[in-house]
Amino acid sequence: MAQTNLEKQLNILDYALSSLWRRRMKSLSVLLVFASVIFLLASFQMVTQALSDKAKQVLAYTPEITLQKMSAGRQEAIPLAYKDKLAGIFGIRRVVPRIWGYYFDEVLLANYTVMGMNVDEMPESARLDTALASGRMPTPDEQGRVVIGHSVKKALDLEGRNTFSFFRPNLSLKAFTVSGEFSQGTDILTNDLIIMNLADARDLYAIPAGMVTDLCVYVANPKEIDTIARKISEALPGVRVLTRPQIQKTYQVVFGWRSGFGSICLLTALAAFVILAWDKASGLSPEERREIAILKVLGWETSDILAVRFWESVIVSGLACVVGMTAAYIHVVYFAASLFRPVLMGWSVLRPDLHLLPRMAAGDILLILAFTVIPYLAATVIPAWRSATVPADSALGG
Amino acid sequence: MRPALVFSLLLCLLLALDGALFVDGLSRRKAEDATLAQLEVATSALGLSDLAVATEARYTRHPAVSDPMAPFMDHPGAIEHFPTGAFWLPPQH
Repeated sequence: MAQTNLEKQLNILDYALSSLWRRRMKSLSVLLVFASVIFLLASFQMVTQALSDKAKQVLAYTPEITLQKMSAGRQEAIPLAYKDKLAGIFGIRRVVPRIWGYYFDEVLLANYTVMGMNVDEMPESARLDTALASGRMPTPDEQGRVVIGHSVKKALDLEGRNTFSFFRPNLSLKAFTVSGEFSQGTDILTNDLIIMNLADARDLYAIPAGMVTDLCVYVANPKEIDTIARKISEALPGVRVLTRPQIQKTYQVVFGWRSGFGSICLLTALAAFVILAWDKASGLSPEERREIAILKVLGWETSDILAVRFWESVIVSGLACVVGMTAAYIHVVYFAASLFRPVLMGWSVLRPDLHLLPRMAAGDILLILAFTVIPYLAATVIPAWRSATVPADSALGG
Repeated sequence: MRPALVFSLLLCLLLALDGALFVDGLSRRKAEDATLAQLEVATSALGLSDLAVATEARYTRHPAVSDPMAPFMDHPGAIEHFPTGAFWLPPQH
C-alpha cells in the first residue's frame, strides 16, 4: 500500500515537474524573483548576525564602566579630580583616564579615531604586542610615537616612511612617528585607530592639564557592576555612566530589522509576495482551466490535482530557498557583503576589510523560511483549491 | 530519465555545493578563532567599546557611547543625513 502511494506521489511529482517545464519561462521568472527576495532577506540576516556575533564576542572585554561628563546634553572633558571622588566607592579596582577623539583629515576627508592613554595601566597591556602586525607599543615616556590601524597607514600613504603630522587647534603642526601597526585581523576594531600617550593626545587636542575625555573604571567583582554604577551616578551627578552590559546590549539591537535598511528589505519581500499572491489568487488562465478539465476527464481526482499544485509550489519555493540562501552566504562570506557596503559604510573613507562568517543556526533558517516559503505555500492554497474544483464540462465547453 | 530523477540530481548538486561551503566555513572558523584572541587583547588593553565598521559619523563609529540624539545635535532643525544612519539603529540606553 505504502509502495503504491509512494509510486503515485512520484508520478504526480513527475507530472508537476513536466508542467513547470512546459511553462518554463514563467516558472523560471517566478523562481528568480523568489530567489532574489530570499537572497536579500538572507544576506541582511547573515550580515547583521555576523556583526552582532563578533560584537558579542569581543565586547565582553570592554571596560566594566565608562564615565563621560555631560553638559547641556553634550559630552565634554571630565576633570581628573573625579578620580579622587571615586576612591571612596568600595569595589573599584582601578580608574584609568583616557583621551579619545576624532581627527578629521581635510585632504583625504577621512575620520581617524585618536586614543591617548597610558596603556600600561590597562588590563592585558603586556599582551598588546600580540595584536600588532609590526613594531611595538610605545612606552609611557616615549613622546610622539603612535600605533596605527591598517586603513590609517593606507590613507596616510606610510609605505616608505614612518612619520606624519597633524594640526593642533591653533593650526601648528604636531609630528608623530609610527612605532607599530595593528594586525589586519583586528581591522574590525582597530581599522581607523591611532593610539598614543595621554600627553600627546592632550597636546594634539589642546586639552588642559587635569582634564580627560573619559574614565575607564574596572571593578573587582563583575556582579557588582550595576551597584557600583549606581553609586558613581549618585557621587557624580552630571556624569554619564555606561556599563559593559549596556554596551553589549547596544550591539544586540543596533543591527535590527527596525532599521531603515532592514525595513526596506522586509517591505520589498512583502511587496513581492503581495503581487505574487494577488496574481495567483486572481484567477485561472484558460490554459490552466483546460488542463484541469482534461485531467478530470481522464479520471484524476480533486485531491490529485491539489497534490500537483502542492508539489509545484514546494519545488519552486524550495529551490528558490536553497538557491537564494546559498547565493546570500557566498555574497556575505566571499564577497564581504559588497552589495550592502554602500549602506553599511556610507561615506566612510576608511573602510575595514570585513571578514564576516555567519553562524547559520536552525532558528535563522526557520526565520527566513517563515518570511518566504510559508507565505508562498499559503498564497497558493486558495488558487489550488479553486483550480481543483473546476467542473470538467464547463472548462471544456467554454 | 524521469523528471523526478533529473530534479533530484539538481538538488544533489546544490546540496553538494552547500556541503563544500560548509567544509570551507569550518576551516575559516578555525582561522577566525585565531584572530579572536588578538581582538580580545585589543579590546581589553585599549578599552574599546565599538566596532570600526562605519567611520563617517561619530554616532555610527561609536554607537554604544553616543546619545540617540547625537545625529540631530549639529544645529537646530538638523536632519540625519549620513547613509549609514539607515543601517544602524540608535542605541537604547
